[in-house]
Amino acid sequence: MAETAIELVNVSVTVNQAPLLKNVSASIPKGRITALIGPNGAGKTTLILAILGVIPHEGEIFFLRDGRREITRPRIGYVPQRLDFDRGLPLTVLDFLTLSSQRRPLWLGYQQAKKNRALEALREIGVEHLRGRQIGRLSGGELQRVMLALAISRDPEILLLDEPAAGVDVSGEVLFCEFMTRVQREGHLTMLIVSHDLSIVTGHAEHVICLNRTVQCQGGAPEVLTPENIMAVYGPHAGLYRHGQDTRPGASATCVHPLHYK
Amino acid sequence: MESLFATIYSLLDTALPFSWAASLFMKRAFLEIMLISPLCAIVGIQVVNYRMAFFSDAISHSAFTGIALGLLFGINPLLTMVIFGILVAMGIAKFKARSDLPMDTIIGVFFATTIALGIAIISARKGLTQVLSTFLFGDVLTITEAEITVTIVLFIVIFIFIALSYNRLLLSGINEPLACSQDIPVRIYNYIFAIILAVVVTVGIRTIGMLLITALLVVPPASARNVSRNARQMFWYSLIFAWVSGIAGLVISFYTDIATGASIILVASLCFLLTFIINLARR
Repeated sequence: MAETAIELVNVSVTVNQAPLLKNVSASIPKGRITALIGPNGAGKTTLILAILGVIPHEGEIFFLRDGRREITRPRIGYVPQRLDFDRGLPLTVLDFLTLSSQRRPLWLGYQQAKKNRALEALREIGVEHLRGRQIGRLSGGELQRVMLALAISRDPEILLLDEPAAGVDVSGEVLFCEFMTRVQREGHLTMLIVSHDLSIVTGHAEHVICLNRTVQCQGGAPEVLTPENIMAVYGPHAGLYRHGQDTRPGASATCVHPLHYK
Repeated sequence: MESLFATIYSLLDTALPFSWAASLFMKRAFLEIMLISPLCAIVGIQVVNYRMAFFSDAISHSAFTGIALGLLFGINPLLTMVIFGILVAMGIAKFKARSDLPMDTIIGVFFATTIALGIAIISARKGLTQVLSTFLFGDVLTITEAEITVTIVLFIVIFIFIALSYNRLLLSGINEPLACSQDIPVRIYNYIFAIILAVVVTVGIRTIGMLLITALLVVPPASARNVSRNARQMFWYSLIFAWVSGIAGLVISFYTDIATGASIILVASLCFLLTFIINLARR
């Protein structure tokens, strides 16, 4: 059993008397990719926000290092499902990335080291050419990739991704797939990913948590990703897609451009 | 303090050898505007970013009641105005945290209640009406050295705070969960910013008037947005537009007898119109 990075003990979230999460207890293994799956309205985003400390919750959320509960929170990279923001804001991609890493106010210019790190992260995700573009003028897919670059530019220990591939075009998907494969190979990063994309889940996740207000099932991907569970979460069509596929972690993680199948 | 002001006045005599700047009251007005307009601009950038224009309006109108309370109880109305403004800001923020009503609805309720309270006090004590016009339209030409000193202190404190937290405030305004993920204490920043906004708005009322103070917060950053491509330009253009509007407005009011607050905002609005056209032409 891998070391635990995040431990959730009886986490409940109630908003306006409506229970969004009820007694969620789960462990997220360190240095692995964990998929958080469940139907719409199951509370997946709520759980991510609770881990981030954005919404108040009951129960406990512990971050662990060397098996011990940490008082200080580790560095977290976060990619939201959809970034709601003021699209007219004059802020370039490079501004956006340095904004969160440097204390010197942006109107006094960039700190060289922070700027270099931001550029490096953009390069890593393949979006360095967007550095001078305004964030409000990016397409959905470009913005998701910039968000991913922002998340990794913080050199996070934990990466929380909420539907990171939503709105991403085909080349973006390939790039994202390659990124996941690299993270998996290096094994330093604990990743919790919410995804409706079955290929991401079956292709990369090593650990799976099925959520529907409370934890329905959790464990290693091969044990949890049974046809029954997938059917319950993704609906009857998913079964056809999966038919004959190997569900071992990483089994379908070959990042091929779909157009190459011709 | 007196010698400090004497030095400043003699410096201004050398730097501004114009007839409009000859009298002492114009020098004081010039000083106050040089301080309050950039202060409004740097706070205003975040007001635009956080979409808090209506919040700012509610604070400025609550000053009406703050002043009325001060006059009623024989306390310095400038002091009660600032304290009441802070209380209203905190009240709105607290209510927001405990209610799921939309922000503008909560502000609307506070807005109406404070204004009604102010009108109730003033209508019951007829003699108070005269003093209030000073605050409705502002009167920078009667500003005192003590008031300028308060603005200098505020300018230094707020400028340091904004310099230290500018990036974090900007990120919190862009997206709160994202800011939280980066360990930014968003709620604390929101409260501190609400207090700063309340202080700047109420102190600025002496110069611009409660009807127009929100405009000095919002219009220069809005003009800056029209022509800025990045965060750095946004900041400096806001500052420049605020200064240009402030000084040009003061000079125009000297030669035309228009209320200074109004002429400042008219110049700021003209800047907005020009930058808007420039922005359209660029597309």
